[in-house]
Amino acid sequence: MSLHEKSLRVTRRDFLAGTGYGTLALAMGIVSPGLGPSAALLQGATESPLFAAEKPVSQVVLVRDEAAVDANHQINSVVVLKMLDTAMKAFAGESDAVKAWQRYFHAQDRVGVKYTRCPSHRIHVNQAVLDAITDRLITSGVGRNQVAADDGDLRVKAKDCTALINVPSVKVHALTGIAVSIKNYINLTDHPSSYHYDGSVNLGEIWLLPEVKGKTRLIVVDMLRPYFGPGPQINPLHRWDYKGILVGTDPVAIDTVCLSICQKKRNLFKGEEWLITPPPRSLAAADSVYHLGTSDATKIKLTRLGWGNEQLI
Amino acid sequence: MQLPQEFLGWKTDGADQVFTRQTIFDYMDGGGEIYLGYDFRRLDEREYAKPGAPRIIAEVYSMGSSEDAYGIFSHDTDGQPVDIGLGALYSAGLLRFWKDRYFVRLQPEDETPEVKAAVMALGKQIAEQIPQAGSPPALLQALPPAGLISSSVHYFHTAVSLNIHYFIDNANLLNLNARTEALLAQYQQSNDKPRLLIIRYPSSGEARTALDQFTTAYLKETPTGREILRPVEKGLFVGGRQVDRTLLLVFEAGSPDSAEHLLELAAAKMKGVAP
Repeated sequence: MSLHEKSLRVTRRDFLAGTGYGTLALAMGIVSPGLGPSAALLQGATESPLFAAEKPVSQVVLVRDEAAVDANHQINSVVVLKMLDTAMKAFAGESDAVKAWQRYFHAQDRVGVKYTRCPSHRIHVNQAVLDAITDRLITSGVGRNQVAADDGDLRVKAKDCTALINVPSVKVHALTGIAVSIKNYINLTDHPSSYHYDGSVNLGEIWLLPEVKGKTRLIVVDMLRPYFGPGPQINPLHRWDYKGILVGTDPVAIDTVCLSICQKKRNLFKGEEWLITPPPRSLAAADSVYHLGTSDATKIKLTRLGWGNEQLI
Repeated sequence: MQLPQEFLGWKTDGADQVFTRQTIFDYMDGGGEIYLGYDFRRLDEREYAKPGAPRIIAEVYSMGSSEDAYGIFSHDTDGQPVDIGLGALYSAGLLRFWKDRYFVRLQPEDETPEVKAAVMALGKQIAEQIPQAGSPPALLQALPPAGLISSSVHYFHTAVSLNIHYFIDNANLLNLNARTEALLAQYQQSNDKPRLLIIRYPSSGEARTALDQFTTAYLKETPTGREILRPVEKGLFVGGRQVDRTLLLVFEAGSPDSAEHLLELAAAKMKGVAP
């Protein structure tokens, strides 16, 4: 999708043919590597397995732990901290969690932790995840008063931050398709509602605002209890205890991984294909218009650690 | 409409909130568009608390008509039907129902047996306070009953809603707007599960324009008449027919006969629908 293509009409037929919305049809299981009707879709990547690139453009780590959420949907903060440590060590290639964090943050940094708190959906980032992140920032040498964790109010603080951590929850979204790390920055602008039009295609531009651009050192996704329903408000039937945390630095790759998982969960729920719609145009544009990362599942390497039951990817 | 101050030990906790067309985005940024598409007028929200029990949030949405209250109720059809109002669904703690021009959501923090009994009791109490019953959209009469998957029926006006239920295109190809009425439903037939989309426009001219746009942009062909039937991807078929000011479209039919059969049935049913 180029800047020109961003304004073009895309139909269901284009989407199902893999010729609309870039490579998203691949991640959503609509077309298969080497089998899709569009050869251009898979240039140089035919027959490549998904999310297992040997020479990846982007890497993502997924850690799951069965004990992270109990039968009453309560979060175990001790387990969450352990999961975060496991994810960070794997992502940074360090054997020590503190050293892993020190690869991304320094003592002099002023770190903004941008989390999702969503009053209408109530799919919030869990406090245990925020506490674990703050704990590890401080343990790795960042002063407590140099860490600002907030949702919308981070807008006024972002310009003073030297680094940002993007901490989204995961939900299928009625207007955006899917809301993870790219959409998490929507309320760093003065007029978030204006970004919901046309499939939220322009969300990527928020990442290029002066107070945001180049500051995101880490993305930590709370996928403990994601949402796969149509919205706009929560139906408890559409929330499940996935018990996962993802870590990465490429927002497009991370969101693509979450898209793939949620699409499979929807199919399981209905017992047939239940496409995430509208297709996440913002995700395709974040890749090919705003160049924030890759949505091509053949160029992403996903490291899967921990609990493997119904991993869905 | 008055919400009760207390019920079964739960009492009003905190200040009530009221949201209008101008402020609905303060309550659900990213979701307000859906409600506005059903002529949303006002939301009354009250929270209830009981020591040692989950909180319960009551939301009463006042819509422009009973048809639109049914419409927003039909947005999400997953849940267990229960007998409250003119239609109700219960799903893991959440109770939704509609009656007259009101759509009501009762959402507890968690589901327990006590909470389930409480939201049912509160729902019945609220429904009884609504004096008029209202009626569902007359357009529902256009749905052929044979093979209809009842949980697949959605009533709406706008392209935003259509694209949540069934993505057609990103640019409102069918010219949906506040003055159009639309129904989407799926059918279980012997060899396929086609979807029927019925759109009633203010005039036959607008219906024809939409069919022509659909033929041009979706089928990439030159419009030639009031009927279409074409093969598309995966061996499936798309069919369409303009009947006066109504446009009938069938998607995902397994054969030309299947598409034509459903169009024929719907066209016949349309004759009995109030203008």
